Amino acid sequence: MTNEPVDVLIIGAGASGAAIAWSLLETRMRILCLEQGDHLADKDFPSRRDDYELARYGDFSVDPNVRQARQDYPINSKDSCITPVNWNGVGGSTMNFLGHWPRMRPSDFRTKTLDGVAEDWPVDYHTLAPFYEMNDRNTGVSGLGGNPAYPDYTPPHPPIPIGQLGQTLAKGFNEMEWHWWPSDVAILSRDDDGRQKCVNAGTCDLGCAAGAKGGTNFTYWPMLENAGVELRTNARVRQVLVDEVTGFATGVLYHGVDGQLHEQKAEMVVMACNGVGTPRLLLNSKSKAFPEGLANRSGMVGKNLMFHPLTGVAGVFDEPMKGHEGPMACSILSQEFYESDPSRGFVRGYGLHSGRSTTPMTYALGGYGIDNPIPWGDEHREIMDNVYPYLAGLTVVSEDLPEEHNCVTLDPDLTDSDGVPAPKITYRLGDNTRAMLKHGEARATEILLAAGAKRVLSKNDDKVWWRAGWHQMGTCRMGNDPETSVVNGWGRSHDVKNLFIVDGSIFVTAGAVNPTSTIQALALYIGDQIKTNIETLFD
Amino acid sequence: MWSNTENSVLSAILNELIPDNPDKGIPGAGDIGLCDFIAASAADDDMFGQQVFSLLRLAQTSADGVTTDLVRRLEEALPEAFAALLTETYKGYYSRPDMRAKVGVGAHPVHPLGYEVPSETPELINELTAPVRARGPVFRNPTGGMT
Repeated sequence: MTNEPVDVLIIGAGASGAAIAWSLLETRMRILCLEQGDHLADKDFPSRRDDYELARYGDFSVDPNVRQARQDYPINSKDSCITPVNWNGVGGSTMNFLGHWPRMRPSDFRTKTLDGVAEDWPVDYHTLAPFYEMNDRNTGVSGLGGNPAYPDYTPPHPPIPIGQLGQTLAKGFNEMEWHWWPSDVAILSRDDDGRQKCVNAGTCDLGCAAGAKGGTNFTYWPMLENAGVELRTNARVRQVLVDEVTGFATGVLYHGVDGQLHEQKAEMVVMACNGVGTPRLLLNSKSKAFPEGLANRSGMVGKNLMFHPLTGVAGVFDEPMKGHEGPMACSILSQEFYESDPSRGFVRGYGLHSGRSTTPMTYALGGYGIDNPIPWGDEHREIMDNVYPYLAGLTVVSEDLPEEHNCVTLDPDLTDSDGVPAPKITYRLGDNTRAMLKHGEARATEILLAAGAKRVLSKNDDKVWWRAGWHQMGTCRMGNDPETSVVNGWGRSHDVKNLFIVDGSIFVTAGAVNPTSTIQALALYIGDQIKTNIETLFD
Repeated sequence: MWSNTENSVLSAILNELIPDNPDKGIPGAGDIGLCDFIAASAADDDMFGQQVFSLLRLAQTSADGVTTDLVRRLEEALPEAFAALLTETYKGYYSRPDMRAKVGVGAHPVHPLGYEVPSETPELINELTAPVRARGPVFRNPTGGMT
């Protein structure tokens, strides 16, 4: 290991860190990525085990508070109705994400102008469109072109099967004359570039042992490491350092695999630690120049945390739906209720996602992301024999609006295994979101009945899924005004001119779609802006 | 870990939690020897071991043996311990490939084989999406207004 100064230091080897490293590769700058976790060896993917479902409740849980692996940091979410989930290792949360890949829509970038809520982004859809396309090629995205919910584009690979479940629900949407479309997915429908096409294992959250899912452990990182980007694993950054005189970042302090604290100097620091990890690290990087945390003169670091609150409704059909076969979150997506309609009693909107069913253990324990086991006794037998195989469900994925009281702060007591203060989440559902979820449940019920469900199962409460904090956004948002935002329109800190942020924390609004395609498109855009402005980058 | 009597009681409780379905040849949780899984979990987790022990102690005070009513009383009297046992029972039962297969899911590890899911033909996808396409664009384009 060498700690010689580098040109670009990226913190985090997940979706955004990999994408910006790829973008900057052509500059021939010396790039180093520090990742607190490690590579996952092929033999360690739990989907190769007989008892693969058990991993979901142990070493491969999406919840770091359950996994409690050495590389994980605990998250205090006692004051939240949703707990963040993630993966710490090469690939980041693309290791255990589900690969659903919808883009944000043009209106998502202009919510203030169009709907009078939140703020407009300093970039728009059309600016990002070429970077979406570039990233879709690098990732290997499958889908069907011509979706009338978007300006025209065509994914590079044909769609994956929507299956019996998707076909059934599609007929329901057609009956109601509502929008639906086969989902765009970061999952290969055919072999590509040494990666195997999807085998429909149905356990995308346990890591894709086939390499079909476009986690950056399979897409960007092999290419980057071959090209000379240094990926230093088991390296947990403790603090970003700044020169008190110039106000520039000088590098980081990190805990290495040897357990010792090291200093790594860099000309430029890029943060790619997600919407919880990035504010945590900035808030942990206090100095005389930045007593409230690095790059936090606006006071907005950690504020405006947005998730995508979820609820679900399932229908019981006459025929087996085989919902465990195929990518678990991706079949079809309806955006009929995505845009604002004042008659609905809320602003903005939601998507109806047909996640497929899950495997028996997870269903018995309450479903994916839920801790609420189904009944025991005769009712258990009835459900597992006569309901579970016949289920098709719809998930309501709602747009969360930014609210300052929803935030990431530092827990005063909790730390990770290196003694670095852990994040604390304070989050509650807004009234707008509650109204949206209720509306979505009712519409999902209508669709399921139109599709032929003989009965519909809903929770009949206003709780959202607990382990649904996949999408962590807004905590270091972009903007043109340094008083109200953390980074500018191309990811550069307003306060520290050689500090960039490229993960979901820079989102201004959340949209109602899975964010990873937008996170990576933004990272590629920021990389492009860095290259374009290289002569005056730190002015 | 437990006495033979305690094992018998536990097995009977497990059969109440996940009963058999003789018509489909599906055994109950106790019948497949799930006590061993519960014992292993208890060995790994002291608190869980104590919870199971407290449930067994209470169950053994019943003069009528293990019945559905008794299990319901256990749930009411020791809700946290009962919830922990229920969770481990579901985990143990459905981690068995042969039990997974009983509810229509492959017994095999899902990689490398996965499942055969045929792709829809382009004709079928065209037919299904035709009404959606026919209704035209459904997004707002801020530079061009409502489309």
